[in-house]
Amino acid sequence: MQAIEVSHLVKKFGPLTAVNDISFSVAVGETFGFLGPNGAGKTTTIRMLTGISPPTSGKATIFGHDIVRETVAARQSMGIVSETSNVYTDLTGWQNMMLAAQLYRIGRRERDRNATELLKRFELYERRRDRVHGYSKGMMRRLTIAMGLVNSPRLLFLDEPTSGLDVESNLIIRDVIADLIQGGVTVFLTTHNIEEANILCERVAIIDKGLIAAIDAPEQLKKTIQSVQSIEVSFDGSSPTRLDELRQLPMVNEARKEGDKFKLFTEDPAEVIDGVTAYAHTHHTRVLSITTLGPSLEDVFIKLTGLQRSGGGVTAID
Amino acid sequence: MGLQDRLSRELVAAWAIAKKDVAIYYLRPGTIVGGVLFPLFMFLAFTAGKLGTAAALIPGLIGITTLFSASSIEPVSIPIERRTATFDRLLAAPISLNALVLGESLSGLLYSVAIALVVFVTALLILMTPIASIFPILVGIFLSSLCFATMGTLFAAYPTESPGDIISMVNVVRFPLIFISGVFIPLATLPSIGQTIAYFSPLTYANDLIQGGYYGKTTFNPLMDVGMLVVFILIFQFVANWLYKRFNE
Repeated sequence: MQAIEVSHLVKKFGPLTAVNDISFSVAVGETFGFLGPNGAGKTTTIRMLTGISPPTSGKATIFGHDIVRETVAARQSMGIVSETSNVYTDLTGWQNMMLAAQLYRIGRRERDRNATELLKRFELYERRRDRVHGYSKGMMRRLTIAMGLVNSPRLLFLDEPTSGLDVESNLIIRDVIADLIQGGVTVFLTTHNIEEANILCERVAIIDKGLIAAIDAPEQLKKTIQSVQSIEVSFDGSSPTRLDELRQLPMVNEARKEGDKFKLFTEDPAEVIDGVTAYAHTHHTRVLSITTLGPSLEDVFIKLTGLQRSGGGVTAID
Repeated sequence: MGLQDRLSRELVAAWAIAKKDVAIYYLRPGTIVGGVLFPLFMFLAFTAGKLGTAAALIPGLIGITTLFSASSIEPVSIPIERRTATFDRLLAAPISLNALVLGESLSGLLYSVAIALVVFVTALLILMTPIASIFPILVGIFLSSLCFATMGTLFAAYPTESPGDIISMVNVVRFPLIFISGVFIPLATLPSIGQTIAYFSPLTYANDLIQGGYYGKTTFNPLMDVGMLVVFILIFQFVANWLYKRFNE
């Protein structure tokens, strides 16, 4: 039995087809990433998988329970952390935890124990009696995730868990996610942070315009676009014209500045390294560091979704 | 999962939702204006208009109190929760839509019963309003509160994030009900079209039951009043359930 089994799922809103005949499965204990640009159909898919919105056609099961016909049973084994920190700001942290637990009909002793453990784990226990409107953004996010875990779910839907958070909250959340994965919890993750998906996920699906463009392990996906390799180079000193000059080098398809480094995309790294060395010599500068990089998951994402790079990276990812 | 377990689960969740509403929304300005001040001002307007003594108008005041108080929580709470996405948390919980609708309505019921009882006890102690039988009054308060709370939940199904949108729609129904339900203007004095419309108002039966408790006589059989209120509650619950499902698609 799979944790999630999706078969020919379609969702239409009038004439618009938001999700168009997608099929995939997620194994028990697997960490599955779901990536796609804005409006690709990610949120619609999650709403169907969590039983909030019924599909137009097709079928989805959660641990064998049909999400449309056995919604309550399917939801009982899942935890849902939505993109918005949907906590009750007029209630205290503790009251929020209790409400979430009561919705799953968890007995008083168990919900007290779970809430205490989770609030401590997310470093919110000392503030449990404070109303949530006094919490920081990161604290609200941590509370949202703690509420999603109060029923000890076997499957966790995580929608942008670390988006826009401070370093402390990010570290705590990533630690907890790593522990959940170690503990055998199935995780369905959507994230803006492609590197996060690359590190955490065993497989990722890339959805675009309602269709699944690719599903595979991150490293397998990278192999499909070996032609997109890059050289990362830094020079001694700076020059306002350097980026344009590097773009003119032979075999450089694209160049962009990333902090104090330049990233040059190419199909022939050796040729570009020769070009960079010659460039440094003729411009009386020194190469401080140079590294050859394979394609990143972000490169795969861009190639499959047809997005354009802008400045420091891809921003139009939902 | 057995039926008993399922029912128990649903009731626990409904009660949790109601408690959350009590803690958050009872003292919101929109709730107080709609649930307490509106019926009070209506009562004062009718008293000042010399349609009857204050004591004589108490049954009507209790009726409109249940109408306004019970239907004032969900039109405020649900749009706000849509805006903050907390309503999605309830929609994604392992409970049926029936339990969600019931839970939302329970908070309106408790709010309305509490305020109506304050009116009832105050009238009893200060105005010495005579009572024929307390039982129909209490039943009338409970059933009409549940009926109008469910009506408020039904209107709140409209997918908006602005409480004002829902309150405006509810008022289109609430205000005419006062005039066609025999609350301050006896049914017998209404034109025949008004009397016909009155049969379709739950406030007519609630008011009749409460007046029966005060005066010892009713226009309809009290059992019919109870039956009609139960029918309205079931209709509102069913339609609300359908609308939440429909708008959620």
